Amino acid sequence: MRLARVVGAVWGARHASGLDGAKLLTVESSNGGRVTAIDRLGAGVGDRVLVAHGTRVRDLTVGETVALKDVIVAIVDGVDDAEGDGVDEAGA
Amino acid sequence: MILGRVVGEVWATKKHPALDGRKLLIIAPYLWYAPSHETANLVAVDALGAGIGEDVVVCMGDPARRSLGSTSMPVEAAVCAIVDRVELSSDRGQRPLTFLGGRAPAHDAVTP
Repeated sequence: MRLARVVGAVWGARHASGLDGAKLLTVESSNGGRVTAIDRLGAGVGDRVLVAHGTRVRDLTVGETVALKDVIVAIVDGVDDAEGDGVDEAGA
Repeated sequence: MILGRVVGEVWATKKHPALDGRKLLIIAPYLWYAPSHETANLVAVDALGAGIGEDVVVCMGDPARRSLGSTSMPVEAAVCAIVDRVELSSDRGQRPLTFLGGRAPAHDAVTP
């Protein structure tokens, strides 16, 4: 799982059937890596989130029919780290 | 499994129900023990009570879920040991342990 910040939303009128009604968000971790994850918690742009990856995680949260492997599993309230700074410096 | 240092903790109110009551730690993996696909810190569920600055062993994937007593948690990393001491073979023991990304987190909990 990784910490990331929501940087945008993705829409597509034509999509795989498993993505009907799905909310897709692009998230960026501090190393600059971006992935698009499915969101069932109601996260918005600017929110810090916890993103889990993998088929098993996907099956357990949003179902086997979803054609994505990254799932937002938590909206982060706070981060306490050794340097006393935020998620971006935590490098997650 | 990987070896890493706890560098932070995460709080979240809105989360998947299976994560309720679970402690989430930010782990900085040691370079030599990090999986090849890891490029940054990761977040692991902690059932042992590790704290910031401690070195831990983190198991990944399905074994991580099993170690938490449930295979139905959307989790891919869990703390499965708190490290007391690390001993390295002589060829590596002369060199300091380095972290993924090169930057050492605060606290020197373990000096092998």
